[in-house]
Amino acid sequence: MDPDVHLGVYICHCGVNISHTVDMDECRQFAEQRTDVRVARDFKFMCSDPGQELIKQDIQERGINRVVVACCTPLMHELTFRRACQGADLNPFLMQIANIREQCAWVHNNRELATEKAKAIINGAIARVRLHSELEPMRAEVNPATMVVGAGIAGIQAALDVAEAGHPVYLVEREASIGGHMARFDKTFPTLDCAACILTPKMVSIGHRPNVHLKTLTEVEDVQGFVGNFTVRLRERARYVTPDCTSCGECVKVCPVQVPDTFEEKLGPKTAIHKAFAQAVPNTFRIEKQGRPPCKQACPVHQDAAGYIALIREGRFREACALVRRQNPLPFICGRVCYHPCEQDCSRGNVDEPLAIQNLKRFLMDWEAKNLPRPDPPEIKERRTQRVAIIGAGPAGLTAAHDLSLKGYPVSVYEATDVLGGMLWLGLPAYRCPRDIVMRDIHYIEQMGVEFIRGKALGRDFSLHDLFAQGFGAVFVGTGAHKGFDLDIPGEDLEGVESGIDYLRNINLGLQQRTGRRVAVIGGGNTAIDAARTARREGAEVTILYRRTLAEMPAEKEELDDARAEGIDVRWLTAPTAIIGDGSVVTAIRCVDMELGEPDASGRHRPIPKSHSERELPFDQVIKAISQQPDSDWTQRSQGNGRGTLILTRWETLEVNPDSLQTGVEGVFAGGDVVSGPATVVAAMGQGRRAAEAIDKYLCGSPLTDFTTHLPPPNPREGFEERPHENALPYSKTPRVPRTIMPQLDPRRRIHTDDEVNLGFTEEQAQREASRCLSCGVCVECLECQRVCEPKAVKHDMTDKVDEVKVGQVLIATGHQLLDSRAMQQYGYGRLDNVVSSLEFERMLNSTGPTGGEVLCKNGEKPRAIGIVHCVGSRDENHHRYCSRVCCMYALKFAHLVTERTDAQVYQFYIDMRAFGKGCEEFYSRVLREGSTIIRGKVAEVVPSQRVDHRGRNGYLLMRCEDTLVGRFREIPVDMVVLCNALEPRADSVSLAQRFSLSRSPDGFFLERHPKLDPISTMNDGVYIAGTCQGPKDIPDSVAQAQAAASRILGLIAKGEVLIDPIRATIEEKSCSGCRMCNAVCPYHAITFEREQSVSKVNQALCKGCGTCVSTCPAGAIAGAGFTDDQLEAELEAVLV
Amino acid sequence: MPVVADLDRVRTAPDLFEKEECELREAFLTEVERVPGGARLRRCIQCGTCTGSCPVSYAMDLTPREVMALFRAGDIERILRSRTIWVCASCYQCTTRCPSNIKVTDILYALKRVAVDRRVFPRKFPVYVLSETFAKQVRKYGRNYEVGLLRTYFWKTSVVRMLMRTGLALALWRKGRLALRPARIKGIAGLRRMIAKAETFDRPQPTEVDQEPTSEVGYGAIG
Repeated sequence: MDPDVHLGVYICHCGVNISHTVDMDECRQFAEQRTDVRVARDFKFMCSDPGQELIKQDIQERGINRVVVACCTPLMHELTFRRACQGADLNPFLMQIANIREQCAWVHNNRELATEKAKAIINGAIARVRLHSELEPMRAEVNPATMVVGAGIAGIQAALDVAEAGHPVYLVEREASIGGHMARFDKTFPTLDCAACILTPKMVSIGHRPNVHLKTLTEVEDVQGFVGNFTVRLRERARYVTPDCTSCGECVKVCPVQVPDTFEEKLGPKTAIHKAFAQAVPNTFRIEKQGRPPCKQACPVHQDAAGYIALIREGRFREACALVRRQNPLPFICGRVCYHPCEQDCSRGNVDEPLAIQNLKRFLMDWEAKNLPRPDPPEIKERRTQRVAIIGAGPAGLTAAHDLSLKGYPVSVYEATDVLGGMLWLGLPAYRCPRDIVMRDIHYIEQMGVEFIRGKALGRDFSLHDLFAQGFGAVFVGTGAHKGFDLDIPGEDLEGVESGIDYLRNINLGLQQRTGRRVAVIGGGNTAIDAARTARREGAEVTILYRRTLAEMPAEKEELDDARAEGIDVRWLTAPTAIIGDGSVVTAIRCVDMELGEPDASGRHRPIPKSHSERELPFDQVIKAISQQPDSDWTQRSQGNGRGTLILTRWETLEVNPDSLQTGVEGVFAGGDVVSGPATVVAAMGQGRRAAEAIDKYLCGSPLTDFTTHLPPPNPREGFEERPHENALPYSKTPRVPRTIMPQLDPRRRIHTDDEVNLGFTEEQAQREASRCLSCGVCVECLECQRVCEPKAVKHDMTDKVDEVKVGQVLIATGHQLLDSRAMQQYGYGRLDNVVSSLEFERMLNSTGPTGGEVLCKNGEKPRAIGIVHCVGSRDENHHRYCSRVCCMYALKFAHLVTERTDAQVYQFYIDMRAFGKGCEEFYSRVLREGSTIIRGKVAEVVPSQRVDHRGRNGYLLMRCEDTLVGRFREIPVDMVVLCNALEPRADSVSLAQRFSLSRSPDGFFLERHPKLDPISTMNDGVYIAGTCQGPKDIPDSVAQAQAAASRILGLIAKGEVLIDPIRATIEEKSCSGCRMCNAVCPYHAITFEREQSVSKVNQALCKGCGTCVSTCPAGAIAGAGFTDDQLEAELEAVLV
Repeated sequence: MPVVADLDRVRTAPDLFEKEECELREAFLTEVERVPGGARLRRCIQCGTCTGSCPVSYAMDLTPREVMALFRAGDIERILRSRTIWVCASCYQCTTRCPSNIKVTDILYALKRVAVDRRVFPRKFPVYVLSETFAKQVRKYGRNYEVGLLRTYFWKTSVVRMLMRTGLALALWRKGRLALRPARIKGIAGLRRMIAKAETFDRPQPTEVDQEPTSEVGYGAIG
């Protein structure tokens, strides 16, 4: 007996729902006998006004201060009875529901036992409510800003309604335009309004409202907060076109890339820069980029290879040439001698062979030389005063000179020899890179105002100190690697033994150089091949000796093939052990045979000599071409003089900062072979470019960080492993086209001349080769759109943006997707031509669609009969059990439109015709009157006909089914089959549900709070759902739901504040040990750790009172208000006893 | 006499007044529902996928869908008298495609068993004789004994037709395709044990409860 507790127990019959199974009188009598129960009543409908009045009266007149209502689930009426208590000035949390309907009456048949159970449940509630204490709900303001996720018809309608009331709306859409599925439909059932005509005014209206913040290409990344106060993080993908776009469409005319258009269900092509459809909102074009093409990524100078290839394919050579020159200061040279890392990573290599990218560039430059005047040097916008000295006129130095003079610096290039080009002139034979070609590129750079000083060598004629004394602000050292390695075997000092690089230099400079009759070239790199082929042209019989096998040979395969075609003998697995001479002249080489052992540090197999395999081969000249290193003697004579010291590595190369390429001496930068050791032309150019950027930063006084010049990533193919872009065929299914072979000079002729071996592509050959390109990443960055865009709206360097938005409420209207009917193999979708999905057919019917509104078979003929299959993947245990609701009606719409626009017969195959909703049954009978045939029976399979019909046409389809109303198997010939695919939840609805803490029903659609009484709310307060993300529905229903959601949202905004249930967890600080286990388990991230006091704290606004932390806390320091351990124990005890 | 006419019409509907028929149907229903998956038969939506998928439906007098419908209507007699259950070639196409996951082929098998038990067969369609004889041969020898099968089948159906085919039999015999003596397989005891075990599967199974899968989320989880 507690004198302060005055209990009232109210038992509801719920009509007969409860009283049918549970004895009401017995329950009441039982309640009356409980201690402290002052009054117990039963009533037919306790939730009705008279029922509530009973409670209020007892509170006011009889002093009841604890209330137990035995009725339905608290989800239904807890709020009702709390309000009733509040109306009678009793704290609403002193009321407890005993659920005797869902948990008792509805699940039992035995009246006697059910009554016993009901009594136990009531007893539990009585014991619990005794221990209840008064709780006060918290209040929070409601942010009037609202977010709508998904801009289909539902999202658009809700956004308009909320905006109309004057509140800000963030409308978030993943695609480039709003409109959703409805924008792709032709007509809408049953009224046959044109979908675009009724949708586009709303879309335009969205664009015009200043308080609708439209966020296209945007997805929700994260959601924090609670009703009235959400913080949503949005990621906006780059559009690459600014809102300055006037939608003139000039860019589409010049875009060379075409890929399947997903808006048209891939029935038609679209360009890389495009607008989904004419009335798209926002009215801005968009460039589709799915990563950068691997060829471009692999190139150290970031050459726009895919871009100029696309332009070649289109025959636009002039634009392609300009594009090559954009990134490449030495295009003629690269077209001839680049070792094309782009081709190694070309995606086409996954199909057959990589594109001949280098040859295509060479074709372009040849075309330019033939058809265009010499290009004028680019205009230099800004002139600077600080001078830059560049040592060495090789590819690294030339690139740095080009880039720096483009930035406005006066550049002086010092060259030790009398010729420019460095290794390009000294090391490369003329048959690969004719001298006039080298001079063309150098001439272009000279024209830019670069000063060349020939015959002056660093360390010989001047020092670094001299340069700084002359007033140079910075120096770039690109002196190359011109010293050949020794073999370290006896006899190297004999006459007739020379290094390959010296041999080539002497020949190339026209100096005195003897070439023997029988020449051995030792080594397997490109220098070895060059030396061998040069010696061959000097009339020698040449043998290349290499100590490993063909597979390990570093030389380019094409080069080696050319060399062998010219009659050069190659001996693999042969290593020299000594050079034998007759007195002072070479006569032979002693060699051993090798075999391959374990792989070494470089990954190549280490060669091991075979015993007893020594032999002598007769030669009169030996050219050593095993590798080169920089000639670093000058560093002895020219040091930093107080600006630091040059440091050499053990390979005699200069040590530099890997990012800025600055040497140990301040203001002195280095690149090319002098840093990397012998490497390729394009690698040296890449370093020259990076050094130019660093020198610019250095001279401007900026820190030497945050470089933007390109460095090839470790794996340029990343993201292109399976297919070149999302809508392309995978590599394994791409048709194979062989690589175009470049014509060459006849080997018998070419060994007698220095003429160029490779003859170049014709225009047709180039275009054919270019058409093999797969357009990796869709946009290949040819920058043509940027060139033609008058308002300068195209920005290829845009990046994704991440934004945080504060909103009060969120509406999810993310829609559905169509089932991929490939899963139902019996219908042959994707396998048989002319089996189309409903959305494909919808686009075909649309006058703006890929066929301009005509229904056409794949071969372009008009179909004579069309079969429409209902319930594809719907009402099917193997796919979706639910009915997709809209298929029957749109199938009838198809039938109507086909009858109206074509002469084709229409067959509908249905299981049950579901024509509910306003005007739908009428539409059904209209279509029946129009004469389309309807067959009750699900199509079992669609098979191609083997026979030729009486009109001599084959290739029609047979639809097999049972006409169930006749009870006979039928086989119906048609030309086209339309599948009415099921509507299904979007593939990413799981992750969206997690982000917004939504539940999903078993079918995967988002779950509403109550199927009948609260179909637009979710279990997460302040988050609503509308449209087909909640379940399949038609347009009127989606719009109605959207408007209902909008009115709910506006209601809460008008109210201005939310009451938050005080059912919350609290942590008793004294008992908290700071173990932080609760922080990890809280699903709402409401518990944080206070470092200073070393205790955890609950953010009351975020806490949802789920109780997970309460049960987790090992110290028992967390209590849930309204769910204390005492209350739960008392309730359990009373239920069980 | 309008009343009598009405009564007559009612009589044509099975089992309303005939106690026997009603009981028979009840017994059959339980029997077939004990076939694994048999209870799902209640879910048939009569779409006809089974018939459309059936390669031998042209030879059936009732389509498989009609078998399901008659079954639910309680007209087992008509099903057992039809050729359908004996024509089924067990390709299982209907079972794989059925949108209600009904094991059509298994149910047809169960009906065959019922027919054999009750000795109700279609008229002038002695396929069941072949089936029965074949099963007996396998049980006895562990494999088929063609001559024995032919002898028994034609003896029970039509001796005249056997005599008409003597020429063919002789030709087969000459080529060594028709053994006159039965051959028994090795390890017949093992086979018999296997058959005995398999037969326990055929005994009535506990009636399966056809329930919706409990929802992983949904209202089920939130009360």
